[in-house]
Amino acid sequence: MNKTTLLFTGIFLTFGSAWVGLVAYPVANLGTMEPLLDEATGGLLPPPVSGLAVAGQRVYAANGCVECHSQQVRPDPLTTDIAKELGKRQTVARDLLRQKTAFPGTLRIGQDLSNIGARQADTNALHLHLYAPRSVTPWTNMPSYSYLYTVRKIQGQPSNESLVGLAGPHAPKPGYEVVPTEDAKALVAFMLSLNKSYPLPESPEPTAK
Amino acid sequence: MTTDPSSQPDTLNAAARAQIDASIGGPVLLFFGTAIFWLLFGSALEVLSAIKLVWPGLLDGISFLSYGRTTQAATASLAYGWATPAAIGIGLWLTARLCRVPLQHHKLLVSAGLIWNAGVMVGACSILAGNSTSLPLLGFPAYSTPILVLAYAFIAIWAIITFHQRKPGPLFVSQWFLVAGFLCFPWLFTTANALLVWNPVAAPAQAPVAFWFANGFFNLWLVPIGLAAAFYIIPKGIDRPINSHHLSLLGFWTLILFGAWTGTSQLIGGPLPAWLVSVGVVASVMMLIPAAAILVNLHLTLSGHYAPVGWSPALRFIVVGICSLATFWITSALMAFPSVNAATNFSDINRALLLLGHYGFFAMTAFGSIYYIVPRLTGKEWQCSTLIVWHFWLSAVGLLLGAGGLLLGGLIQGFALQEVIVTFRSSLEFARPFRVLAIVGSILTFAAALSFAALFAGILLAGRSRKSPALLAAREENSQEPVAV
Repeated sequence: MNKTTLLFTGIFLTFGSAWVGLVAYPVANLGTMEPLLDEATGGLLPPPVSGLAVAGQRVYAANGCVECHSQQVRPDPLTTDIAKELGKRQTVARDLLRQKTAFPGTLRIGQDLSNIGARQADTNALHLHLYAPRSVTPWTNMPSYSYLYTVRKIQGQPSNESLVGLAGPHAPKPGYEVVPTEDAKALVAFMLSLNKSYPLPESPEPTAK
Repeated sequence: MTTDPSSQPDTLNAAARAQIDASIGGPVLLFFGTAIFWLLFGSALEVLSAIKLVWPGLLDGISFLSYGRTTQAATASLAYGWATPAAIGIGLWLTARLCRVPLQHHKLLVSAGLIWNAGVMVGACSILAGNSTSLPLLGFPAYSTPILVLAYAFIAIWAIITFHQRKPGPLFVSQWFLVAGFLCFPWLFTTANALLVWNPVAAPAQAPVAFWFANGFFNLWLVPIGLAAAFYIIPKGIDRPINSHHLSLLGFWTLILFGAWTGTSQLIGGPLPAWLVSVGVVASVMMLIPAAAILVNLHLTLSGHYAPVGWSPALRFIVVGICSLATFWITSALMAFPSVNAATNFSDINRALLLLGHYGFFAMTAFGSIYYIVPRLTGKEWQCSTLIVWHFWLSAVGLLLGAGGLLLGGLIQGFALQEVIVTFRSSLEFARPFRVLAIVGSILTFAAALSFAALFAGILLAGRSRKSPALLAAREENSQEPVAV
């Protein structure tokens, strides 16, 4: 075999081995994973999510939320993620079944969001945090997503979707209200769906020490 | 000292070299010029993102200027607008030189360059407009990446033709790296886009593929091309062969073998089978072997001939690039240990590593290579050596403040994130002063990009050339070293 053939063959074999291991194997195995049947309730694990929550993933991607927020709870005792109450158990591959795109993230400039739906189930509170983060948490460096909301004149009755509790500089003028766009509603639905309170056999909750 | 022919850069005479350089000038300058445009664009967005991270009130609530979008547009335009075209330009020139054939199929390369940049423009605008996929280094939406694949196909056809027509003789070490880079890039890019963007696989399988790509894009695309340039320009610059053929072989094959497997070491404790993570950890630690082999080989080549590094812009930038690469691999290996990773993962160290790899290694090596290549393509010398000195110090200090600040800040932030009794708010406050340093770093690198753009415009537009090469410092009296710049 001459040197050039050796070079090409060598690159194909070495690089190809990693392709088989890190691409083909996960696609063939993790890619065909199915939800489990929950024998207690007859439902599926992880439970299905609404179409609005699925649409919200696109908004999450479009605004680059993953640049600051991770979505993975790592196991105890290797890490302190569970002790810090990011979740009750490790995030495993099956937990991602209801997502179109996996957003494991590489940074925690903001809080981990694996279980944000369990920590904060109040739709209005999530909208306030997206519309004017510093009105809720003065020290946060989260940007405002006010462009996902419309400020409009109240016609007759205020909308039942309008944000409640905006104060100070963030409050709309009297007679006006702040209402979420479809994108904001979808994003909040997605955040509420991030809730891994259901059990999975492959990820038991660590027992108290 | 070895006499192995594969350690000699080339044996062309000056006339043959000049003929090859003149034939390939247009396409290579097109790739370099557009790359510098995107370098400015991306660096400006980096400055904006760095400031917004500390002072989120700046330009707040504007959709296309929100932090998530600007930072992704910056990363993507630097990776696909600056780094990849710069790598292609360097690769084209090295291929023509090392295959010893003047350029044919000029139009193929020019069209590839234009199509590529159209694709990057569509992609970058889409990210700012809110169509990002948010995948690491794959932010461009599904309708823009096929344009890039088409442009790359043209380049690949040209590279295959040229490689096929090469004059007989042994393959120089740079050619191994070029072949590896030009083969792995399309393999990485099309696989990742097909499985994650065009027709996404189920989410549980996405994380390993995404991290395989992000690491492969650096270790098997930017690194091979940067090293191909370093292994060619360093021996040419000091007029000596590469020290050891065996170290070249060791460095090359261990890079290709382990570099492809490192991705999953960034997912320790993540949602994938444990053995996949273990393999990634082992591979990341094993990367110390190519790091040592390449560093020692280039050091032994330069040993006793370091003087030209003082005055040659090309050598000075490339030496800084190689040192950054070694720092990058050593830091990555340390961070791959699960006990260390438990604290350091998710901290600003991850941002520091991206900066150290893509800017510290690749951009610095590419700057050095462009300083070497462009005078040979245009037949003119760089206009202003003072500006080159400014460019060097702005980019080196910017890198030091940016990567150094984020490494130190990330360490403190990481331990704060890990410690159960420390609040999340404290981790933000600890990281803040270091993020201010990173702002200063990003402003300096933007200024460096501006000075580089001015130099590039200067050499293209200059009517007549300086007589002597632009050197960073006066040569020593009675120096025997060649005046390669």
